[in-house]
Amino acid sequence: MNAPIIDPLQGDFPEVIEEYLEHGIMKCIAFNRRGTLLAAGCSDGSCIIWDFETRGIAKELRDKESVAAITSVCWSNCGHHILMSAADKSLCLWHVLNGQKIGRIVLQQTPLLARLHPHSSTPSLCLACPLSSAPLIVDLNTGTSTILPVAVSDMANGHTPTSRNKSSDGTPSFSPTAACFNKYGDLIYVGNSKGEILIVDYKNMHVHAMVPISGGAVIKNIVFSRDGQYLLTNSNDRTIRIYDNLLPLKGGPSILEDLKNNVSELDGVEKMKAVGAKCLALFREFQDSITKVHWKAPCFSGDGEWVVGGSASKGEHKIYIWDRVGHLVKILEGPKEALIDLAWHPVHPIVVSVSLTGLVYIWAKDYTENWSAFAPDFKELEENEEYVEREDEFDLIPETDKVKESDVNQDDEVDILTIEENAFSESDMSQEELGFLPAIPSPDAPDQQEKYGGSFSKLMDSNHSGSPLSEEGAQNGQATNHELSPLEDDTGGTRLKRKRKPSEKGLELQKGLELQAEKVKKPLKPLKSSVKMSKTKSKSVVNRDPSNGVHGDEISDD
Amino acid sequence: MANTNTQAPPPYKPYRLHKTLRSHERAVSCVKFSNDGALLASASLDKTLILWSSSSFSLIRRLVGHTDGVSDLAWSLDSHYICSASDDRTVRIWAARGSFDCLKVLKGHSDFVFCVNFNPQSNLIASGSFDETIRIWEVKTGKCVRVIKAHSMPVTSVHFNRDGSLIVSGSRDGSCKIWEASTGACLKTLIDDKDPAVSFAKFSPNGKFILVATLDSTLKLSNYSAGKFLKIYTGHTNKVYCITSTFSVTNGKYIVSGSEDNCVYLWDLQQKTMVQKLEGHTDTVISVTCHPSENKIASAGLDRDRTIKIWVQDS
Repeated sequence: MNAPIIDPLQGDFPEVIEEYLEHGIMKCIAFNRRGTLLAAGCSDGSCIIWDFETRGIAKELRDKESVAAITSVCWSNCGHHILMSAADKSLCLWHVLNGQKIGRIVLQQTPLLARLHPHSSTPSLCLACPLSSAPLIVDLNTGTSTILPVAVSDMANGHTPTSRNKSSDGTPSFSPTAACFNKYGDLIYVGNSKGEILIVDYKNMHVHAMVPISGGAVIKNIVFSRDGQYLLTNSNDRTIRIYDNLLPLKGGPSILEDLKNNVSELDGVEKMKAVGAKCLALFREFQDSITKVHWKAPCFSGDGEWVVGGSASKGEHKIYIWDRVGHLVKILEGPKEALIDLAWHPVHPIVVSVSLTGLVYIWAKDYTENWSAFAPDFKELEENEEYVEREDEFDLIPETDKVKESDVNQDDEVDILTIEENAFSESDMSQEELGFLPAIPSPDAPDQQEKYGGSFSKLMDSNHSGSPLSEEGAQNGQATNHELSPLEDDTGGTRLKRKRKPSEKGLELQKGLELQAEKVKKPLKPLKSSVKMSKTKSKSVVNRDPSNGVHGDEISDD
Repeated sequence: MANTNTQAPPPYKPYRLHKTLRSHERAVSCVKFSNDGALLASASLDKTLILWSSSSFSLIRRLVGHTDGVSDLAWSLDSHYICSASDDRTVRIWAARGSFDCLKVLKGHSDFVFCVNFNPQSNLIASGSFDETIRIWEVKTGKCVRVIKAHSMPVTSVHFNRDGSLIVSGSRDGSCKIWEASTGACLKTLIDDKDPAVSFAKFSPNGKFILVATLDSTLKLSNYSAGKFLKIYTGHTNKVYCITSTFSVTNGKYIVSGSEDNCVYLWDLQQKTMVQKLEGHTDTVISVTCHPSENKIASAGLDRDRTIKIWVQDS
């Protein structure tokens, strides 16, 4: 891996918008396990799978039956399946590689959140959180759903426990509840409307423990970090709380039974609280004490070092990043479009956010040139060092040749085949993981393949009508990147160069005309000046050679 | 030539000439076995590519379309597609089965395209050119995703590492650089002497080492994160052409390379000793490739030879 040669001193969180993805109106996003694919659920019921490396569309999952807006997407652990919940109260399970729908289950209410069991190779169980009632465990094979208990007194019932909350006409009243699996899926952590975290064993519907949050505000989100060591809750009192998970990652239910037996002298709620105190320990609280914003879609970074929360108050698009200890390290401000969903890339310091207009923004680190990369013996110094030269440093000694070879023992064994295990190689993965979707080149239209020698007017036309290289761009999404504009001009420019061999000046003028034409043709979204586009990026790539004629700086929009 | 090692690797079995393929009308510039081992592809200055069966070595198809000589080719991961780099300044993507059509023409370079490679996921192609840049193309749409102003002289080789996060490039300007594939940032410069030119660079199968060929008849194996050269292989002649070399791992570990004295050289990877010299070509051996699972080597000769020779080990 390239980890050894990347500078570890730079902060590992994103800083600027690198790019945005546009295709229809996207509502919710989810990365696959390795972050190579991004699934986005749209308002028309389809799901777009983006290849995150090329920032192009890899697959579209759509069919005539699903037309209601998607409320959440979730990948299976091995990446072969996607579960989508939609506004028409349905849950749909799709097979990614062949793009086929495997099953569809209709619930009683629209699920706002649907999560597959995190550790089974073939998805069979999922957790669904409807808008206004208790979360359900849905068996995808049989279609049966079981309601989870949402209060300590509702244990071992198995049937609907919300009799207390029912209003006079019998319909369950509004009691939003959030829930999530723990890392290996043997326990479910439920956050209810009274501000209590319940640890539930869904196999027998027992509530094993309860952790009350001070203030008792409704819990809106509850989510684990990737390694299962930390739990995050987002409450109506505008506070994000981080808890240490004290239970071991596997074997939770039996440990909880033991803990319950240890406090057998207590009863009921007190017993639950005592056990709960041994499962979760409050670590930190985050809030913005000045603006008191409500947080949206908070989550951990891939390595659990950072916590990110979004704010959409007053229609803004702000992302707050804290380190786990609690210091606010960065506030990212996007365009004036309310933020509705947020996800941190599992591996890289990249954050992806969805705005109300349906665009997906990719935030990444600001690219700074690494000067020590440009020569083998360059070293970056932290501060000035006085250089003391040797006595004979500048003497001319003709006999000694410069010894270039390093003094490495050349007889050491070199291993060119073994691959190091990294954090992603989980030994209990039974099925081979789907890391990427095969890229099939979409064939060029026949007239694009003819030899150079097309007339000049034809070249100009193809320039104006869109990217000359891919007329199928209409059906693919566009990953708009400022760097693409100079490249497309380059194509046109090169062709012109070869055809007529104009002078340098002539090239510049033609390029200027083409740039203006490009600007008119592609109306990029007007982004506020507070958002830095990839200006620095294009500068550093397009820097040295003026004769190539590609001036990245001229093209940036503001 | 037996190796006296404590580990006692299998005693070296010499390769012998199995077949000579004569179908190109001009110098053959590149040969590569497909990743599934079923096909052998060759590219030539006669503007065509040829697909051969790798068991019978019969000619399956000639891919016509380039308007000038082809310098390099690469197979996609699933062996369904081939990309080729040509002096007509384009990169073409071909279907290697079924219709054998040219699926895409990637235009953008302003001078000869010299080297090309798919990334391991085969959704991107990197190409190096005489216009001193490296371009990264999206396979699906053919769009150029990035231009890296890589060197100050023609780029002679590009190669992705095992997970596609890094690209190594070599150039006639004497430098060998490592780039981050997702951003185009230069991460490291391995060599930076003006002389000799770097004619070839590629990652080892596990992505930890880089094999670099320079035009002073030297092949070096380097641990790039430490920046140290671990092994040096000499004995062949390489002062003019960009000769490709490769790792042979199917039966013991060797380095295989062509040479300007018309032979194919094999060195033991650890001992650095030359274990065999395959003679038979009548011009510089410009390219060699090893079959992914069988002990077969294919080599290609330049203009006075124009053949592809297949070498096998006696079992």
